[in-house]
Amino acid sequence: MRAVDGVSFDVKRGEVFCLVGESGCGKTTTGKALLRLVDATEGDVFFEIPTDEYRRYEELRSRGAPDAAARIDAIRRKYSFSWKEHLAWDTRQILTWLGAVAAAFVLGLGLPAFAAAVVPGALVDTGFIIGASLLCGLLIGVIASLPPTRPSTRTPAGLALLSILAFNLLPIVAGLGWPATLPNAPSDALGISARVWGSATFAMLLGVIFAPAAAGGASKILLGRRRETEGLLGIKMRTLRRRLHLIFQDPYESLNPKQSVFEIVSEPLVVNRIAHDPEEIAALVSRSLEDAGLRPAGEFVLRFPHELSGGQRQRVSIAAALALEPDFIVADEPVSMLDVSIRTEILQLMMDLREKRGLTYLFITHDLSLAWILADRLAVMYLGKIVEQGTAEQVISRPKHPYTQALISVVPSPDPRHLAKRTILKGERPDAVNIPSGCRFHPRCPLAFEKCGWSADEVADELRSLSAGGLLPEIAGIQVQNPGTVAIGIVPGMTPGSAAANLRRVASENRDSRLALKGIADIRENGDAIRVTLQAWEEPVLVELEPGNAVACHLVTPPAESVPTVTA
Amino acid sequence: MHAVSGVSFALDEGEALGLAGESGCGKTTTALALMRLLPYNGRIISGSIVFRGRDLVKASDMRIRKVRWKDISIIFQGAMNSLNPVRNIGQQIAEPIILHEKVEEDAAMDRVGELLELVGINRERRRDFPHEFSGGMRQRVMIAMALACNPKLVIADEPVTALDVMIQAQILELLERLRKELHLSMILISHDLSVMAETCEKVAIMYGGKMMEVGKTVDVFTDPKHPYTQGLVAAFPDIRGQRTMPASIPGDVPSLINPPTGCVFHPRCKFAFDRCIAAEPALAEVTPGRRAACFLYPEVSEVPPRTITMETH
Repeated sequence: MRAVDGVSFDVKRGEVFCLVGESGCGKTTTGKALLRLVDATEGDVFFEIPTDEYRRYEELRSRGAPDAAARIDAIRRKYSFSWKEHLAWDTRQILTWLGAVAAAFVLGLGLPAFAAAVVPGALVDTGFIIGASLLCGLLIGVIASLPPTRPSTRTPAGLALLSILAFNLLPIVAGLGWPATLPNAPSDALGISARVWGSATFAMLLGVIFAPAAAGGASKILLGRRRETEGLLGIKMRTLRRRLHLIFQDPYESLNPKQSVFEIVSEPLVVNRIAHDPEEIAALVSRSLEDAGLRPAGEFVLRFPHELSGGQRQRVSIAAALALEPDFIVADEPVSMLDVSIRTEILQLMMDLREKRGLTYLFITHDLSLAWILADRLAVMYLGKIVEQGTAEQVISRPKHPYTQALISVVPSPDPRHLAKRTILKGERPDAVNIPSGCRFHPRCPLAFEKCGWSADEVADELRSLSAGGLLPEIAGIQVQNPGTVAIGIVPGMTPGSAAANLRRVASENRDSRLALKGIADIRENGDAIRVTLQAWEEPVLVELEPGNAVACHLVTPPAESVPTVTA
Repeated sequence: MHAVSGVSFALDEGEALGLAGESGCGKTTTALALMRLLPYNGRIISGSIVFRGRDLVKASDMRIRKVRWKDISIIFQGAMNSLNPVRNIGQQIAEPIILHEKVEEDAAMDRVGELLELVGINRERRRDFPHEFSGGMRQRVMIAMALACNPKLVIADEPVTALDVMIQAQILELLERLRKELHLSMILISHDLSVMAETCEKVAIMYGGKMMEVGKTVDVFTDPKHPYTQGLVAAFPDIRGQRTMPASIPGDVPSLINPPTGCVFHPRCKFAFDRCIAAEPALAEVTPGRRAACFLYPEVSEVPPRTITMETH
């Protein structure tokens, strides 16, 4: 099930971006996916990406050039924190690496022999050689069995260099470095050399064969465990978490009742190792609390959440978020649980902090009137998709999508003189496991027309209800044949021609009250039955109408005539 | 502890009154007192509730039991939690019908079908259980239940609070339609002034267990007299108005255990003066058809006539 799909937006620095929609439309899921509190299955979240880089990324994605994937990956590696690099090595990398190891091995045998011949006293202590080579092997094994996180720094060539060094450096150093510990200088240089050669070879074979296997096994277990808990980018994410923060909806549930205000606010400081010194921590905590409007801080630090009012609790949440000096805050319905008279103060505080600290907000709310006063730009979501996006004036003063229009029309206004004509949509939002075909909004849309994505089931249901109302006496059975056609049986004794004509008439008479009938493209006799063919459709995509204002609706941007056939 | 005091209002037949205020201001307590449904540790100390010429405060328990649901019914706050999860909705709606109208179960079930259709639910769904309904549908079931015995007065306690705007509009439209069709009187309790602006003729603003202002909705919202009402009206963002941050009322909602002396609103009031701290203002008519409890108006006297008072032990 895709709770959120095809959502794309950008939040500029210092901006308030609102995500608006009814419950279950995927606002919170989107917010959490941004902070990687849930992992998105696809797509990217970029943080602090320069505009031209982002434009390049967009270009690469739309063009689909052969090398696009690699170039997109390069951008992702730099700016995305939702992206996990492909872990497995490909065959070429493995072969190169094996070659590098073989070369290192040969050199590794040659150089010690050379050393033994040239340097008197080198490579005599067999035990030491065995130890040294086992250590080298282990080292290589560990490095080789790590999956590549950053190929740029761990290319096969680099690995080969490392292997050679590791293989050779230690025995040579061993030979040169500790002559005093070695036994008497050999008299028969050649004989000694042969003996040393033999034992050295054996030791290195042992080291190279067994040590990597052991090291590989151990590191696989360790890495596997780590990947399970944090993902490969775990380390990077942890540093980013300081700069991205979340303020939760319910101040009554998001604060731990067993922690004092001091503990709640200082915890992120301690966990992220920002401050160690108790005095420093205390100073940071009281500064955050005072910034969040809890003055004097000393009066609040020792209190527990139950001793605070709702507004004060939400201020504590804000203080805890501020302690890390974040740049970007996802505020998930931060005031929906608060009384109106307190609400404005919290909003004002958030906006003041934006001025003071240059914060950027992603503000998630179901309340359009809040979005109206807060948002620089906003996106309206319906059933996991963005249907309209733009500045507050563009979306709220001049809504273009029928859903946005309806939603705005039903927002109650505190001024009785501002009563507006309300468009109350029928029914409720469909379940996310059963997403309508075409435009997701079409079953509830008062303006839905032919191209909106009527499915055969919807048309068949409407025909059945007409038939049950006695309007179609000639018809015996209605069946969905495939996503594009509905087959209709005829009562024995009736001619298909007149039945089809009647159906055509009834369908065209009722199409304004039963919008699903608009999905019928053609009604034709087919032997003893009638065949109803449906309109072709495609899902509307966000189309930019004016700079920054995009709408996903076929009414606003009519689809091209040559639409591909239905594949539902 | 006095949870609610100095509350007084009148409601004509077929009229809708909005009871507005923030959390803990005594809206629900007032509603429960009207139906004599206060919990065991609460009681009405003084005052009267006159319903069609009869004082409900003095009525016996038997008498009240006949009035409840038959004459006055309530749509409880939180439709999610007010329905019994292990009984189907048909049984739940039929229960008051069987008890009050003394009819057989079959007849009651027919009435349940009618009620469900009245609130826009297919009558076949009466055998479904609450978990099979969405939030908006459950609220409709609650409304059907409140209408079961043809009451004269329906108290709707935050009927749309946890619902989405679109569903909220659907429910409000339904209540509005039912009120017109069935000629009901209604008391709509909500913290959301904008909901009242569109549904109620009269509105009463409560704060800290006291009534601050009562009057016609349009008048109260366009020309609020009490400083609290002024602040509250200004605190609501208006999607059809200016794109400015609404005004705030500094401070917090007062605690009922340790209420401020004098006027409950004085610690947050920008107009407060000596008299507000010393004495409590009573509701008095400040302009024709409008009553407010604020010393800014010379008509307002000091001794509050307590109409409904409750005490909690």
